[in-house]
Amino acid sequence: MSRISSAIVLAMLVLTGAMGLKTVVTTHGDSSVLVANGTAPIPPTPWKNGTAPIPPTPWNGTAPIPPTPW
Amino acid sequence: MVGPFGYTIWLLGALLEATVVVCSVFRGPLRRYFTLNLYMAVSVLVNAGRYWVFTRHGLMSSEYIYFYYYSDAILTICLYFALMGLYAIVFEELGVAMRLRVFMMLLLIGTTLFSYSVVHQSETRMLTRYIVEISQNLYFVGLILTYVLWAALLKLRESRVRVIQIVLSLGMYFSINAGTYALRNQYPHLRMVWGYVPLVAGVFLPIAWIYAFMKFDDEARLAPARLAAVPR
Repeated sequence: MSRISSAIVLAMLVLTGAMGLKTVVTTHGDSSVLVANGTAPIPPTPWKNGTAPIPPTPWNGTAPIPPTPW
Repeated sequence: MVGPFGYTIWLLGALLEATVVVCSVFRGPLRRYFTLNLYMAVSVLVNAGRYWVFTRHGLMSSEYIYFYYYSDAILTICLYFALMGLYAIVFEELGVAMRLRVFMMLLLIGTTLFSYSVVHQSETRMLTRYIVEISQNLYFVGLILTYVLWAALLKLRESRVRVIQIVLSLGMYFSINAGTYALRNQYPHLRMVWGYVPLVAGVFLPIAWIYAFMKFDDEARLAPARLAAVPR
């Protein structure tokens, strides 16, 4: 039981340290992604400069918005 | 737009990764360092896939973007398993294999749960954000694990040169990428420089592993430092 507990504690320690380091490293970040595998050209992040179609806004036109009916 | 330098580095990286696997097959440590070779073999396949998608759709296409980030997550998971294999090699004489597996799997599960907790409120592209978040978090977990392994090597007075070489090169690789990322955020006007450093690091890692597999056999040990003669 103590072996399992020590494994859990160690795993939590490493996870906490890793997330702390990530927070330090990504301070002042522009939400870009750290990619570190392979030598292929790095594309922009999917949600920063993605090419998926942009949905229309839920409202139509530029007319003034009336008050709610209630 | 990818220039001749970018193509050269890309090709060189893929060739060197393939060479690691070939060297490992011919020098014998394929089974012992299976997870390291698995990472390199998957990396070669991913590079081939990325090239295929890149030539058909281009750098800015959504096909390449999604293929790149999803395959990056797969590679990071493979790198995590490579680290798991290194831990098993370093601690094999202590007989803690089972505890080590439990620890590594708990850490992996913890990282995936933490990543989910970060992105679960996203309204758009949740799966993609989740995949990228796992990849990022596992990368930093790998960085910490490498330093812990490095400390363990020092503590255990490990003298197997090949293991030391592989762990040190992995530590440098992780550190270069994390450092570059931090500096890129700090000095964004030097973006061109920071863009190429990870690519060069991607070439460095297979070179270091080829050196480790070709130069040393598994029993090669570091010569102990000469004892200092203390005059009485």
